[in-house]
Amino acid sequence: MSETTVDVLVVGAGPSGLYAAYYAGFRGLSVAVLDGLPEAGGQITALYPEKLIYDVAGFPAVKGRELVEALVAQAAPFDPTYLLNEQAVGYTDRGDDVLITCQSGRTVAAKAVVVTGGIGSFNPRPLPGGEAFEGKGLEYIVPTYVPYAGKDVVVVGGGDSAVDWALGLEGVAASVTLVHRREEFRAHAHSVKLLKDSSVTVITPMSPVSVNGTAVVESLTVRHVKTKESQELQCHALVAALGFTADIGHLEAWGLETLDRHIVVDTSMKTNLNRVYAAGDITEYPGKVRLISVGFGEAATAVNNAATVIDPSATVFPGHSTEGAQS
Amino acid sequence: MTYVITSSCVDIKDMSCIEECPVDCIYEGDRKLYIQPKECIDCGACEPVCPVDAIYPDRTLPSDAVVDKDDNRAFFYEVLPGKDEPLGSPGGSMKVGPVEADTQRTMDLPPNPDAD
Repeated sequence: MSETTVDVLVVGAGPSGLYAAYYAGFRGLSVAVLDGLPEAGGQITALYPEKLIYDVAGFPAVKGRELVEALVAQAAPFDPTYLLNEQAVGYTDRGDDVLITCQSGRTVAAKAVVVTGGIGSFNPRPLPGGEAFEGKGLEYIVPTYVPYAGKDVVVVGGGDSAVDWALGLEGVAASVTLVHRREEFRAHAHSVKLLKDSSVTVITPMSPVSVNGTAVVESLTVRHVKTKESQELQCHALVAALGFTADIGHLEAWGLETLDRHIVVDTSMKTNLNRVYAAGDITEYPGKVRLISVGFGEAATAVNNAATVIDPSATVFPGHSTEGAQS
Repeated sequence: MTYVITSSCVDIKDMSCIEECPVDCIYEGDRKLYIQPKECIDCGACEPVCPVDAIYPDRTLPSDAVVDKDDNRAFFYEVLPGKDEPLGSPGGSMKVGPVEADTQRTMDLPPNPDAD
């Protein structure tokens, strides 16, 4: 598996992490940014790319997506390495550096780490009672429709993912059934119209009750929300698109000291672990305020303090950016 | 700062918001849903999916619903009728499941005419 070696590893590609990447570059440090999602931007990209943000200094109003683009552009001259779709699951202190291991097996050797993990990494919400069938016919994500060719597929959910996947599976799978708790779907109106015109069998308002099968998924039992009448849907494959939840469990596994799902830091943004700093929504200290603008300040504090650990002859104060060659 | 589920949710409990919440901080009471104020990260994902417009940020609650802010908090930090101890901050509604109780105030509300 590949190994990346950098001065600073930033864990979390939200606004604080992207600004930390800029600051590491500004300090002349090589930097990698790791994130569990497939693109940069963290919660902004995942939850509110089109919303206007009014409390970023210097911007009377800025659209979430545009702020992320600007942060990526600001860090770009320093050529950060982006490690996306990765989760940092392990920490080893090697004295002169630390080794971070990822879920994929990738390792990153870094002289310092800045954790800007926000609310944690996003994972699909599990289907109750489905644990035993994960990977045995039950999937939470549909990256490609090919494995579903010729199968009877049941999709559960009412959002964009559920409707998009049901539509994408139509014509590939032998049959597609979409189960949702409500009559109405939250997916985009256009997708819902396509759904109505499609051959997808829509079953509402029904909730999943149990997944059945001896070794692999054979059927899903659903129950009518009002009449409580049950029905069994035979299927070869089951896709649960029930949204995402975030948690910091994999970071706690490093041995980081946490308080109510946040990482405890001192005034230099240092955590309890050697060479590990934190910044942004994930930090906790008396008086903490969870705002993007505070995260930016913490990112600068974290990186500049980390710089003195990476090179003991460096100073915490970086100098003024106006003195730099870029203009 | 947190989002608050107002009494428009009473007897409806659509639960779309629960699917949207990225931190799983919306808990199911007997007659309505409640947001754990300490666990809420103020992201706003729940607000637009509510079919009865029951969800507001605590800073822009309609005047007749300001009381719901304390009611959401009470659901977690007071001992609910029929329970022995407060729910507190369990760190995820999936772990807890339906709470099968309400605050006294919610219990006393009249049946919601919008519920079928």
